[in-house]
Formats: sequence, structure tokens, C-alpha cells
Amino acid sequence: MNAARAELRKLLTLPSLRRTVLLTWGATGLLAYGYASAAARGQAVTDDAALAPLLYTQAGFLVLGALAAASEYQGGGQIRATLLAMPRRLPLQAARMLTLAGVALPAAAVTAAISALVAGEPARIPAATAYLTLTTLLGSAVAVLARRAVPAVLSLFLLHFVAGPLLRSRFPGVAALLPDTAALDPSTGLPATIAWVAAAVAAATAAFHHRDA
Amino acid sequence: MTQVRAEIRKLLGLPTAWAGLILGTLLSPIIVAINAPAVRRMIADGALLGDVADLGLQNLGIGLIGPIILGVVVVSSEYTSTGDDAPRARQLTATLTAMPHRMRLLAAKTAALVTVVFVQATIAAAATLGLTHALLGDLVPAWHPGRIAAAVLYWVLLALFSYSITLIARNGIVPLTLQIINSTVVSVSYLLTKLTDLANYLPDIVGPQMFLSGSQLEVHIHPVVAGLTMSAWVAALLAIGAYLFQRRDA
Amino acid sequence: MPGPAHRLTTRMITIDRLNKIKGKARILYDVSFAARPGRVTGFLGPNGAGKTSTLRILLGLDRPQSGTALIDGQPYQSLRRPLATVGALLDGSGAHRARTARAHLRWVAASNGLPDSRADEVLEIVGLTGDAKKRAGRYSLGMSRRLGLATALLGDPRVLVLDEPVNGLDPAGIRWMREFLRKSAAEGRTVLLSSHLMGELAEIADDVVVIDKGRVLVQGELAEVTGDHRTLEDAFFALTATETGGSW
Repeated sequence: MNAARAELRKLLTLPSLRRTVLLTWGATGLLAYGYASAAARGQAVTDDAALAPLLYTQAGFLVLGALAAASEYQGGGQIRATLLAMPRRLPLQAARMLTLAGVALPAAAVTAAISALVAGEPARIPAATAYLTLTTLLGSAVAVLARRAVPAVLSLFLLHFVAGPLLRSRFPGVAALLPDTAALDPSTGLPATIAWVAAAVAAATAAFHHRDA
Repeated sequence: MTQVRAEIRKLLGLPTAWAGLILGTLLSPIIVAINAPAVRRMIADGALLGDVADLGLQNLGIGLIGPIILGVVVVSSEYTSTGDDAPRARQLTATLTAMPHRMRLLAAKTAALVTVVFVQATIAAAATLGLTHALLGDLVPAWHPGRIAAAVLYWVLLALFSYSITLIARNGIVPLTLQIINSTVVSVSYLLTKLTDLANYLPDIVGPQMFLSGSQLEVHIHPVVAGLTMSAWVAALLAIGAYLFQRRDA
Repeated sequence: MPGPAHRLTTRMITIDRLNKIKGKARILYDVSFAARPGRVTGFLGPNGAGKTSTLRILLGLDRPQSGTALIDGQPYQSLRRPLATVGALLDGSGAHRARTARAHLRWVAASNGLPDSRADEVLEIVGLTGDAKKRAGRYSLGMSRRLGLATALLGDPRVLVLDEPVNGLDPAGIRWMREFLRKSAAEGRTVLLSSHLMGELAEIADDVVVIDKGRVLVQGELAEVTGDHRTLEDAFFALTATETGGSW
């Protein structure tokens, strides 16, 4: 489909996306190594070394999605070029999401692999990959709503890294309802993540469809 | 002086800056209020980790997101593209046209940031500590003014730290990402302290040592040494940032 | 059997009673006009008159409260491969500043199923071949406009819609644009351009539509609209003076 081809070309030619993925891989590797070394010294810092690095490097995927979406609105007015070339907004939005997921998936798989393999638990890779890919879509949806990268990234970080952990420690029952729990425990968390992502994508699609360019 | 006021007004005109102001000021007192019942029980049971005297000051840590955001936003706003017609023009172009002497501009921005964060830190500290006392009463010893001053100083230094790395990076996303994920419940720097003792001198580890006495770290650093280390970090990064700002294209 | 009626709507732009409200303000009042193939239609008015708003509605970027804006009898969003029918130049280049000009043109080409070779062809037409590998963020104002025009030409469209096309061009560029637009019209294309530069418009346009404060004041051939006035500019000011409360 033409829209998907165009969106794919866009994603592959935006340098900041490449850099984000590489930084995320690097950070995951360093963290995985760090956790493993600490454990080897008998000073284990975490009880789930396979997924612990991902708690942090999931930020990279939030940023990836946000940057990809926000790039339409940064100086240059690309959103106009996009809508002139592909004026039907719903198919465009679908193509964007699918292409983004398609690009994020291999990046997520590598990230999950780095983290899980260093800890010796390859079975965790599929769920972690799914989670990271969904997180990318979440970042993208929020950025479509905000139209700017920094506020989108900031609010998502506040949710994932501040509000989330705080709520979980104070009200443990809430854990199953928060989007980032899947990073801790995919079996309980993924449904919540999927729900949040679906809601965010729906909101973003509706806004995109109705508002002026 | 008018330049500093202009920079303050510029900063207060940014919505993201207000997010930093509100979060930084309100988060700590809110956490104190939420945790108070549980903390009361822990003190009674003698199960509290760390020093009782640290209680209110420790909660100030969560408000640090405020100075982090403010430090980033002061700079990153200059690097957003202003118009669609000429993407090369950034807000910085207009700013430098109005104030061409770069070092003076940087000094004004720095002063503006320090002023705003100092006020925010004082309010946040007053609110947090006041609330801690109100809710925990005499379970908590009286405050040491020196420690409170050190905590406020740490807030300002952290804002300057955030500011310098944004100056160097020239965009807001990278500094924001690195700092926020590092200052959440468990930090990367903390992980590094498990690997090497040198990590204890990283800014976000050494800084709190300026005003917190009980600590779960293995290496204890004297508050004055901590303050000097933190200041050294900030001075070094500010110098690099200022040098680059002077030399690079706008 | 296709007859005169069919030929009339092909490549024609028809705007019919557009009304647009932005926030609390009404910015378009029953705007109606047409642009015919083989002619350059100038959409003239001061800044804030509603020119860009009208064009954005025509191109499917904004929604009107009522009224229609059609190309070839269809709204923009219904066009199968829009870039093959309409080429639009709005402000800026539409390219993200971190992308190279060629990369930008290539994704746009892909979106409409156009061959990649078109990217190099249009770069040649506007004279940007040497700067193709530069990031769009490094382009000067004039280069950005030319990149925008190149993007509009990718599909070799039958209709050209341009918003203040000579804005930011140097004298050589302005002359080039003038000749290019006249040539396009001579080839049978429909050319609609908006401008607030009346002297310039008088050099290019065959038909003129005058808009002020969201209302179309007059439309017709250039000579008709200029009437007895010495220049189009004189005619414009006479018109708008009447509008704001003359002897009627």
C-alpha cells in the first residue's frame, strides 16, 4: 500500500530515530552488564535481571514513538505535505501505526534479546518485545495529541517513571491497571498495556481526523 | 538586570516550565501527606530505614523533577524552530538579535534560572518540612537550618546541571530522558555504586549527601565535600556548555 | 458522450459559498469563485483576508462550516492520486529539517505510487539538483520555496494551487516563477495563485478574484477588474474603500 511505503521511507530517513534506537540498545547492553556484574559480586540489586534493564530503556521506545509522530509538526510543516499527498486520514493513520509497529518490532526484539540473554532467560523475549512495541505506539499516540515531542515525552515519563511506581507502592492493587506493569510482569501487565495503547491510539486517531491540519 | 528580568519572563511564558514549577513545588508535600500514616507506623515499630531526621528532606527528592525540567526548558526553547518558512531560524536567532553578546545572554539566563529555582526550592522545602512536622509532630526532631540550606542549594545546583547538559546537547529530549529515568525510584547511578566506589561521586549520588545523614550507601561523604563535588560537576559542565555556546553557529 | 459540460468541469476549480469560523471569528463569508483551465487565476487580497484559509479548505486541510470547494468536480479527499491531479505550494517547503531534499521527495513520490526518478526530475526543473543531498533545514528561504514547488510538481499535476508563490524569492526567482506559471497555463493547466502583491499579480494573472475581510468583492478578467483604473492596485483600493462604507 502506497501510504505504508511512504511512511516507511519517512521513518527510515529520520536520523533522530536511528540514533534513539542505537542509544537504547547501548544503554540496555550497559545496564544488563551492570546488573549481571552486581549479581556476580553477590550484590544483586534486582530480583528480575532479565527485565530490569528494560524498565529504563523502555524510555527509548516512548521517545522513538514520540519523535516519529512529532516530526510531522516540527518546523517545516511536514503535516501539510503528508495530508496533501495522502488526504484520507483514517487509512493514513492506520498505515502510520502499522509501519511504526513494523519498524519498532525488530528494534524491540533486539533490545529484549540483549536484556534477556545476558541474564540467561531467553523465554522472556517475546513478551518483552510485544511490550516495547506497544510502548512505541503509546508514545506515538500521545505525540499526535500533543503535536510536540517534549510535552508528550514528559507526560509519558511522569506516568511510567513517577506516577506508576508511586501508585504501585501505595496501592498495590492498581498495578494491573497501569500500562507499564507489563515491563515488570508481562503475564499480568500486557492486557492493561494493550488497553491503554488502544485507548490512546483511538483518541489520537479521532483528534487527527477532526482537527484542522 | 533588565536582561535577567526578560529571561525570567521568557521562562515563565513557557507552558512546559510551568509543569516543572508546579510538579517541583507540589509533588513533595503531596507525597508526605500520602505516606504519613504508613511512616508513623514505621517509626513506632522502629522499622524505619535510615535516619528519622532525614524524613522530610528525603521527600524533597521527588520534587527534583521540577528543577530538572526548568533547567532543560530554559535552553531547549531556544532551539525550537520558529517558523515553517525558514526552518534554519530558531528562537535563538531572535534572541541573539536582541542580545548579541552571548556570554551576557548566558549569564542572564543562568541568573534567571537560579532565581526561579531558588524560590521554588524554598517554597517546596517549607511546604514539605512544615507538613512533615504537622503530620508527624514530635516523632521527628527539629530541623537543622544548615541542612535545609544545603537542600535548597542542591536543588539549584541540580537545575544548573540540567541546564548545562542541555546547553551541550542543544535539544531537550536527551537530557530530559537521561535525568528522569535516572532519578526515579531506583537510579542507574545507584546501580553503578554497586560496581565501583567511584560512582559515589556522581552528581545525583553525592548531591543528597550534602544534607542527608543516614544513607543506605556504603561510602559516606562529608556534607561539605559533597557540596564541593557537586559544585565542581556543575562548574565543569557549565564551562563546557558556555564555551560551546560561544563558538557554535546559533 | 462527453460534451461541453464535461469539458467545463475537467480541471476546473469551483468554490461555492464557503463559510469558515475559526474560534469565535468568522473568517470566510459565502466565498465563491472559479478557476478555469488554461488560465492563471489570481486570488488577490491583503494579509488576513482569507486567501490561505480558502486554499487550505480547497486542499482538504481544513473543514468549512458550509459550502464546497471542488477540483474536477470532486473534493480533494476523494481524489484517487491527489498529487497527479493537484500540485500545491503552501508556506514552507513541507520538508522536515533533518531530512535531505531527495529523501523528502522520495517519500512523497512513494505515497502516490510515483516513480523515484520523478524526484530527480523535479529537482532539475526547479534548479536544486546540486543541493539535493543537503538537509532541508539548511535551505535558505528561496531554496525552501523551490523545494516546495518541486514537491508540488512530482505528479505532473493538471492543476496548480499556490499560496504567495513569490514570497521569499529573489528577482531572478520571481521572474522564473512568472514564466513558469504562464507556461503551465499555456499548456492547459489550471493555475490558481494567491498573493497580496498586486503589481506582481497584474503581470501574471488572466483572471482575478479579489477578497477582503473574508468576502469576495469581485471576480473577472484582469482587464475587467482593473476597469478604468490605472492599475490593479488602484482598482483594489477603490473596491475596498467602497466595501467599508462608501456612498451606498
